[in-house]
Amino acid sequence: MRSRKIHGSLAIAASASLALAACGGAGGPQSGGSSGLSDGKVVIGLLNDQSGVYKDVSGPNSGVAIQMAIDDYKAKYGDKAVAKTIELVQADHQNKADIANSKAQEMYDRQKADVILDVPNSAAALAVATQAANKKKLYINISAGTTALTGAKCNKYTFHWAYNTGVLARGTAGAITKGGGTTWNIVYPDYAFGQDMNKSFTAQVQAAGGTVGQSIASPFPSDNFATFLTKAGEGNPKVVGSMHAGGDLINFVKQFNQSPLKGKVTLAVGLMFITDIHSLGLDQFAGTQFTDAWYWNFDAQNRAWADRFKAKTNVRPSFANAANYSAAMNYLEAVQAAGTDNADKIVAQLEGKKINDVFLRNGEVRKADHAVVHDVYLAKVKSSASEDWDYEEILKTIPAAEAYGPANPACKLG
Amino acid sequence: MSEFIQYTLQGLAAGGFYALSALGLAVIFGVLGVVNFSHGACYMLGAVISAVLLAELDLGFWPALLIVPVVMFCFGVLMERLLVRWLLALDPLYNFLLTFGLTLVLVEAVKMRYGVSGLPYEVPAGLGGQVTLGSVSLSTYAIFACVFSVVVCVAVGLLITRTRIGMIVRAATEAPERTRALGINVGRWVTPVFGFGIALAGLAGVLAAPTRAITAEMGSNFIIILFAVVVIGGLGSILGAVVAGFLVGLVEAYGIAYAPAYAQIVIFVMMALVVLVRPSGLFGREEIA
Amino acid sequence: MSEPAPKPAPKPEPDRAPVAAPARRHTPMLEVTGMSAWYGEARVLTDVSIEVAPGEVVTLVGRNGAGKTTLLRAVMGLHRQLQGSVVLDGVELTRASADRRARAGLGWVPDDRGIYASLTVAENLLLPPVVHDDAWSLERVYDFFPVLHERRDFPGTKLSGGEQQMLAMARVLRMGSRLLLLDEPSEGLAPVVVERIGEIIRAITAAGVGVLLVEQNVRFASTVADRHYLLAQGRVELHVAGEEFRARESELLTHLGM
Repeated sequence: MRSRKIHGSLAIAASASLALAACGGAGGPQSGGSSGLSDGKVVIGLLNDQSGVYKDVSGPNSGVAIQMAIDDYKAKYGDKAVAKTIELVQADHQNKADIANSKAQEMYDRQKADVILDVPNSAAALAVATQAANKKKLYINISAGTTALTGAKCNKYTFHWAYNTGVLARGTAGAITKGGGTTWNIVYPDYAFGQDMNKSFTAQVQAAGGTVGQSIASPFPSDNFATFLTKAGEGNPKVVGSMHAGGDLINFVKQFNQSPLKGKVTLAVGLMFITDIHSLGLDQFAGTQFTDAWYWNFDAQNRAWADRFKAKTNVRPSFANAANYSAAMNYLEAVQAAGTDNADKIVAQLEGKKINDVFLRNGEVRKADHAVVHDVYLAKVKSSASEDWDYEEILKTIPAAEAYGPANPACKLG
Repeated sequence: MSEFIQYTLQGLAAGGFYALSALGLAVIFGVLGVVNFSHGACYMLGAVISAVLLAELDLGFWPALLIVPVVMFCFGVLMERLLVRWLLALDPLYNFLLTFGLTLVLVEAVKMRYGVSGLPYEVPAGLGGQVTLGSVSLSTYAIFACVFSVVVCVAVGLLITRTRIGMIVRAATEAPERTRALGINVGRWVTPVFGFGIALAGLAGVLAAPTRAITAEMGSNFIIILFAVVVIGGLGSILGAVVAGFLVGLVEAYGIAYAPAYAQIVIFVMMALVVLVRPSGLFGREEIA
Repeated sequence: MSEPAPKPAPKPEPDRAPVAAPARRHTPMLEVTGMSAWYGEARVLTDVSIEVAPGEVVTLVGRNGAGKTTLLRAVMGLHRQLQGSVVLDGVELTRASADRRARAGLGWVPDDRGIYASLTVAENLLLPPVVHDDAWSLERVYDFFPVLHERRDFPGTKLSGGEQQMLAMARVLRMGSRLLLLDEPSEGLAPVVVERIGEIIRAITAAGVGVLLVEQNVRFASTVADRHYLLAQGRVELHVAGEEFRARESELLTHLGM
C-alpha cells in the first residue's frame, strides 16, 4: 500500500519534470533565417553548478557573461550576422557526473544545443566530452581543471578554454620554487582532483629544483585541519601547499592563520577563485600566492569589461565568467566566419586560431590537443583593498608556452 | 614524543568542541526521543547568524556568543511547536525524516540568501596566534574554544544533576510515562528542552565561526561526526556525549597523525566497535539498545 | 530492617471486616464505572465497575492476563483505548491526563516499582510535587523508612527489591496521594518483607488513604484487604468481602484457575 503510494508520487514527479523539461526545451521552433544553420538558429547550452559549491565561481553569472557575448555579437554584425537567432539554455548539473551526462544528452538532442559551455567538476566535464564526441557536437570546457580533456581523453569536438591543473602547477609551484621556496609540504583532499593536483604540483616543484617533503592526503570533506597543519609543518618547509577547494580551502586557510605556520612559511593555494577571497576576507588570505587565469583589474580592457559585468550582476567577474564570455564570443565568430553552425566546420575554424581578446592574451587554440593556451598570472592576495573586489596583486605574467608546456602526446585527435 | 603530546593536545582541543556540539543532540534525544538530524543545520545557522551580526550590525564574537543562543532557542521553540510536536507520538523515524527535510530547507535557504562561497569572520581580538610551551604549540583560539566548551558542558551537567529542573529532565528522560504518573507535566518541559538543545547547536556554531568555513553546507559533514559522538557516548547520555566528544577528538588527531587519509574512517570504525561491544554506547542505558 | 515506631499506630480497627459482602463503609473515594479497554482489536476489560472508600484496602485478584494491571493503568490515565469513567473524591477525571490525575490524588506504584536509576533515593522521593496537605514530610518518610535515610544518596536502583518497593510507596505518600494504586507490591519479596509491606498498608489506610491493590499472592491479599474483586477475562466475576474470601479461598481460587 505504502510502496504503491510512493511509486505513484514518484511517477507524478517524474512526469512533471519531463513536462517541465519539454517546456523549457521546446521554446517554439523558429522559422530559419539563413540556410547554414541547423534548425535556423544557434543554441548555446550552459551546463554548470547553479546551486552548489561552484555556483559563485561560475553559476548563473556565467550565463550573464554568455548573454553579453551574444549581445556583442549581434551588435557587431547587425544585419550581416549569420546567426540571427541565438538561444541560451542553462542547466544545473549539481556537480554530479551522471546528471551532467544526462543533461548534456538532453541539451544536444532535445534542446538542439550546438555547443555546450563550462561544466565545472572534472568527472562531469569528462562525461560531457564523451557525449560531445558521440554526438559530434561542440563542447568548450571552461572551469573543470583536469588535463585529461587535452590528454588521453581528448577528442575532436572538445576544447579546454581557461586553465588546467598543469597550468596551476607550472604557474604556482614553478614560480614559487624558482623564487626561493624550494622545500614544500603539500596537503591535498583525497579525491581525483586533489590527487591530480598533488601529482602536478610535486612534479613542477621538482622540475624547478625544489623538493616535496611530505604529501598528506586529507579526507574530503574535512572541518578540522589542526593536526594536518602540525604535520605540514614537520621538517620546516618553506612552503605549504593546499590543494583544497571550496569549504575545505576556507577551513584550511582559517586554521593555517591560527597555527604557528602563519608568518613562517609561504602558503601556496592550488586552485583559488576570487570568490574565495571575497567570501573569506582579505585578512585571512593576505600574502597567499596562487595562479590566476585572468584578473578583472589587470588592465583597462579587463576593467572595462568587468564594469559592464558588474552593472548586470553587481559583482566582479571571476576568470570563469570572463572565459565563458570569451568562448561564446569566439564560437559565434567562428559561426560567422564559417557561415554555418556545422560542428566540423567550426572545429576547422577554431583550430590553430590565434586570439587576443578580453580573456585571452597571446592565446592560441592549439591544434594538437585543443588546449586554448594563453598567458596566465602569478597572483598574491593583497593585504588591503582600495575598492571592493580589489584583492589581487599580479606578481608576474606567465607566458602561454611556459604555463601550458608542450601538447600532451597522449592526445590523438582523429 | 613531543609530537605525540602535540597531537594529543590538538585532539583534546577538538574534542571539547565536539562535546559541546554533540551536547544538544544528546539532550534532545534524551528527553524527546527525537533524533534531530537538523542539529548540523542549526549549528550552521548559529555560525551564519554570527557572520550576519558582524556584517550588518557590527556585533562581534562576544555579543554573538550571547545573542545567537537566544535567537536559536526561539527558533527551537518554534520548530518544536510548529513541527516536531505533531510527530512525537509517532515512530521516531517520522521526526528523523522531518528534521532531515528541514535541514535541506535551511541549507537551501541560506544558499539562496548568502550564496555558497561562505561568509567572512575573524578571530576575536586577543585570541589570535598560538600558545607555545617548548616544542608544543596550540592555537590560542582552539584552547579558548575547548575551555569554553568544557565550562558549558560542566554548567549543563550541574544544571541537570543539581537542580529540580535537571531532576525532572532526568526523570522524564528515563521514563516519561511514569514521570507523568507522578504528577509532572512532562509535555510542558518538552518545548524549552528542545529550544535549549537547539540553542546549544547555535552556540557551537558561534564557536566555529572564527575557525571554520561559514557556508550553508558546513553542518552537513559535521552532523555525521556528531552522530558518531552520541552513538559512541550512548544515545541520550550527556556524560557520554562529553566523554565521547573527547575520545573522537583524540582518535581523529591520532588518525590524522599516523594515517591521514583514514582520519575520519577511524572514527566510524571506533563507533562500530563500541556498538558491537556495547550496543547502547559507553554510557547508554541498556534498555535503549 | 528494624522496626520504627510509626507515628500513627497501625492498630487494626476492631470493626475491620465488613458485615455484608459487597458493602463499604463510607461513600466511595474512587469510583470506576463501566470501564472497557482494548489493545488494538483485543478487548482486555469489559464493563468493569469498582469502588474504593477512604481507608479501605480493595484487591483485584485474578490470574495473569485477567486485566488487573490494565485496569490500574486505565485508572491512572496511562491507557488510551478505553471507555468508562473515573471519579476521585467527586472529581471527574475521565478525560484528565496522567499528571493531572496524580495531582488530584492518585498514587501509582507500578509492578516494576518504577524507581529511577538516574535519580538518587532522595531525588526519587522529592521528584513528585506535593499535592495534598496530608502529604508526608521527608522527615516522616525517613522516620518510617530508616533504610531510605541511610541510602538517600544512592542511585535509586541500587536498593534491594524490598527497599525499592518501600521507596515507591514512600514516594507517593510524600506526594500526598489519597488513593494508592499498588501493582503487585509483594512480588519477588521475601516473606518477612511482604509482612512489613502489609504493616505499611495498614498504617497508611489507618490515616484514611485508600488502596487499590493488584495481587497474585492471595494469602497476602487476604490478610490486608477489606474487599476483593475477582477478575477473569477482563470482567468482574465476583465481588466478596474479606471474611467470605478467607472462608471460600480454595474454592474461589479453583474457580479462577489460580
